[in-house]
Amino acid sequence: MNPGLLKLAVVGSRSSLGRLAGITAGVAVGVCLLLLLWGGANGLSARDNRGAWLRETGSPAVSVPAASDASVPAASNPAAPPASDPSASQQATPLPLTPDTVLMRANPVEVFRGELINRRDFAALGSTNVRIPGVGRPPAPGRYYASPALQRLIESTPRDQLGDRFGEFAGTIDDAALPGPDSLIVVTGATEAELRQGGTAFLVSGFTTNPYGGSAAAYVTVLLIGAMAVFFPVLLLISIVTGLGAAQRRERFATLRLIGASPQAVSRIAAVETAVPSLLGAALGVVLAALLRPVAAQIPVNGTRMFDADLATGWAAGTAVVGLVVTASAVAAGNRTTREGIGPLGVTRAVHEKTPTPWRMVPLLAGLGAMTAAVVIIRVLEVRVPWLESPLLIGGFMLILVGIVVIGPWLTLCVSRVGLRRARSAAAVIAASRIQRTPVATFRSVSGLVIAVFVVSVFAGGSSIIQTTEAPTARPGLLQPASLHATVGTGQTPDQVTAAASKAAELPGVRSSVVGYGPAALHERDAGPEIYLRAADAPGLGFEDIPGTEVVAVDSAFLRFSTQPLALAPAPAGTLDGLVPVVMVVGTDGTPEAMDRARTTLNRSGVTATPATSPSDIQLQSATRLVQGLAVLAYLGMFVAVAIAGLSLAVATASAVLDRRRVLGLMRLMGMPVSVLRRLITREAAVPLLTVLLLSIGLGFLVAWLMVTGINDAYRVTWPAPDYFIALGLSLLLALGAVIATFGLIRGNTGISATRFE
Amino acid sequence: MNNSLTLLGLLNREPSYGYDLKHSYDRYFGTGKALAFGQVYSTLARMVRDELIRALGEETGAGPDRKKYEITGAGEDKVHEWLFTPDVPSENLQSNLFAKTVIALLLGNDAEQLLDLQRSEHMARMRELTRLKQEGDLLQILMCDHGLFHIEADLRWIDLTGARLTQLKKELQSA
Amino acid sequence: MKTTSTTSPILSARGLHHSFGPTQALRGIDLDVQAGEVLAVMGPSGSGKSTLLHCLAGVFIPDAGAVTYRPPGRSGLEISALRESKRARLRLTDFGFVFQFGQLLPELSAVDNVSIPLLLAGTRRPEAMRRSSELLERLELDGLGARLPGELSGGQAQRVAVARALVTAPAVLFADEPTGSLDSLASENVLTLMLEFVRETGTTVVMITHDARTAAYADREVIVRDGDIAAGYRVTA
Repeated sequence: MNPGLLKLAVVGSRSSLGRLAGITAGVAVGVCLLLLLWGGANGLSARDNRGAWLRETGSPAVSVPAASDASVPAASNPAAPPASDPSASQQATPLPLTPDTVLMRANPVEVFRGELINRRDFAALGSTNVRIPGVGRPPAPGRYYASPALQRLIESTPRDQLGDRFGEFAGTIDDAALPGPDSLIVVTGATEAELRQGGTAFLVSGFTTNPYGGSAAAYVTVLLIGAMAVFFPVLLLISIVTGLGAAQRRERFATLRLIGASPQAVSRIAAVETAVPSLLGAALGVVLAALLRPVAAQIPVNGTRMFDADLATGWAAGTAVVGLVVTASAVAAGNRTTREGIGPLGVTRAVHEKTPTPWRMVPLLAGLGAMTAAVVIIRVLEVRVPWLESPLLIGGFMLILVGIVVIGPWLTLCVSRVGLRRARSAAAVIAASRIQRTPVATFRSVSGLVIAVFVVSVFAGGSSIIQTTEAPTARPGLLQPASLHATVGTGQTPDQVTAAASKAAELPGVRSSVVGYGPAALHERDAGPEIYLRAADAPGLGFEDIPGTEVVAVDSAFLRFSTQPLALAPAPAGTLDGLVPVVMVVGTDGTPEAMDRARTTLNRSGVTATPATSPSDIQLQSATRLVQGLAVLAYLGMFVAVAIAGLSLAVATASAVLDRRRVLGLMRLMGMPVSVLRRLITREAAVPLLTVLLLSIGLGFLVAWLMVTGINDAYRVTWPAPDYFIALGLSLLLALGAVIATFGLIRGNTGISATRFE
Repeated sequence: MNNSLTLLGLLNREPSYGYDLKHSYDRYFGTGKALAFGQVYSTLARMVRDELIRALGEETGAGPDRKKYEITGAGEDKVHEWLFTPDVPSENLQSNLFAKTVIALLLGNDAEQLLDLQRSEHMARMRELTRLKQEGDLLQILMCDHGLFHIEADLRWIDLTGARLTQLKKELQSA
Repeated sequence: MKTTSTTSPILSARGLHHSFGPTQALRGIDLDVQAGEVLAVMGPSGSGKSTLLHCLAGVFIPDAGAVTYRPPGRSGLEISALRESKRARLRLTDFGFVFQFGQLLPELSAVDNVSIPLLLAGTRRPEAMRRSSELLERLELDGLGARLPGELSGGQAQRVAVARALVTAPAVLFADEPTGSLDSLASENVLTLMLEFVRETGTTVVMITHDARTAAYADREVIVRDGDIAAGYRVTA
């Protein structure tokens, strides 16, 4: 191709410079986001891989004879009442530690200031071969390794609130075993006897590297769908900016055709003309992504930030993204030009769009069909065929995304037909007519926002699952939110427990310290259905209606986070004789310091069998990791999608004004007020937007429901969080803002100078 | 075109010999058809008779080419009247209008005004024809169109000449 | 020397000056347009014709000078002293505009294009459609109301534009090269129909044209040259 001609084509005029700048900027933003998101997705999986060892559960530390029907933990029980089954004392034998195994206990509720700390206690032989990831040899009893973030926390907090729980600092856990820089992980050393006592320790010989366990396929599916949902609007943005100023360009290409350029040459010029700024923009995007990486790493995902390195995509990925974006935009521009069939006399009027037909429903219906099929297979047929489910779910989601963009113009057309018949005002007639003639172009300007709303709805639906637990309230008959309780281990004498209780009672911020009694430790088969306590202690547990006996009883469901208030009953025996302490409940003033102090004291008392737990801890545990990760991705997705969609709409609306500046200028000259033009532009954006918005929202929740129920029937989609409505409102505000932003263009570009022709 | 008035216009610049007059005429208007001496002298004689011009410093025995002529007051009036009276639009008008324009420029008169006057005359005629056309049958329409197109051609020439007046004046003055 | 008696000018301009940057488009123009007359404004390209028309129609305000509009039966109005919103309203209700080309909204049917000014002026749509259809019929476009501009010939499209300009029954019709992109026969057709209508309704027309045959449809013409009316056409009041 003649370089002179090419130069003419690329830097034709001042206005084309603006267009080129627009393409460059748009592609730069798009590529930057793509790389950061790609890095983010990589980072998430790298992070999960590093944290995989935390999922190791080990094997039971006791062997149970096959004949026994019991599920009682290992420790022998000399204080057990003689009434129990005589075989009970011999039913489970502890498996001894070997150099190839360690004893591990995972504390499920190591909580500090409302944050869960991943705690692993290890006991090992001195000759052990087992290596703990990031630590190496298991720490000696009384010593601990902590992640840097936790160690900072320990050092900045009074020891009686946190540090005392772990013992003596031995070193930090290596980054290679930490999901992120904010991960709170502690590995402590303990004696074998200590760990065996509670019955929750397991033997571990090696650590798993599979971060998702059995749901790996489902997780990857969800991650892929999430990635698509976030990438799609970015691709849409790139496609919109590369189509900027199409009308102007058509005129210029017609001139080129007139002076003898062949249609192929013009297509090539169009391709190169788009490729040059795209390449520039893509390169800029790569630089931008590199510069923004440290900032992006600061965004907490799933409670922890990322390591900078997690977000790096590497040269290969960067080159691939740049190559793909540039090639795609160039090919698209070339094809678009070929399709328009620009002759030497130009396109005298707007390219005649093919009228959309109902066939446009097909991809959307196919997508819904695919996802439904996947769910039916999983739920109804109850067969697991992962090689079929995942492609169906992913492919279905992709089809729905594409389907919304495809069906949009047809729906817009249907609405505009009705609209034109019912139109009353000039703005309505003009807008409806234009939409009816160019539904594809009109819908394109809002497609970004429609897709964003869909994505946001999917994520909102998906993350509504974790919104379902409510903060516990203080009510008589329920465990008080500011209280902690721990069950007492087998064989503790009342004196030991009472001593521990009074020690706890002396802590600052502790209001009450109550010991509950029962026939046997709660994890034993002889434990009764009720817990007995002194009537004098009952107010400390928040009871108001107290029977007049000295000893009262309450159902032991009281400790299991019952949601129904329980009533006290007079104890039939009237005395605590013959009962053993089974639980300690410490009431605090609710301050984090008091809570953490009480936790530390209870866990170090040596009499408790379970870690101290507060009713609010349940919230930290009930949500699953998978959905939490999804929710964070959701908000990230919302932000990206909505921001891009707003940008696209502004760009598209601006070109809708610029492409018609002459005829709109003449209308103004005829006396059409600027306000009518504003209403016109607003309508042209609003009609397609509102037409497909409801569909988007509905589809979004439907898809979320399909995905969530498809993966696990334990989840339910419920009413979305207020965040969703905020995001939705934000989207609409952004749309409004984007349209209003172009109002400035209207006055300037439809003035009298726009009506002159050269 | 009216030769005698054109010659009279040329004399309006400065007194000249008959011989010089012929050459001036030929230079401006004689492309392809130079004026015969006899025609010049007969025209001059007629204008002397009509007292539009007079001979200067009559040298006895000299032939007509030895005589220098000068325009009279009546002659000047005649030239002015000629210049600023638009002609009836007709097909053979052009050369006369051309002569008038050149003479006007040579005399330093307002040639633009002359052209405007002619344009008005043309437009009036065109309006008349357009009106006739709207009332008439197809034959009459065709007749009118014929006239309209011819007048339009004149008008285009007038427009173009009007746009070139400055240049034309410069050329005439330097010639 | 052609002068018109200045008894009742519907539009009069006095001392109009206007510049676009360094270019002086108007240099002190005086002009009267009589009520009911059809005035052709002629002149070479760049002479300031269009600028003059825009000032007369209140599209913009001249740097200096005044334009007064005296609609029949109403008091005079100094257009050049009005705010844009007032002028826009005036253009909508009292003036009509026809341009050389590209003035129809390509996505609107012919009848919708014509009814836009009525809708803007607040007429109900059924009524606007009815009046538009009638006018289209008057301009010999029966049966073409549903077509898009792209489906009409140049002459037909121009007649739609004329219909749109006339549908509000304006007092003054401004036409800027209304037949500039048409062949002779189509021009004639458009002009004949347009002028028949305006003479019948007594509409004043200010028509810019560089074409003498078009100008011949007018009652008189003025020549604009270098930003002023040529000497022979000035108002000698």
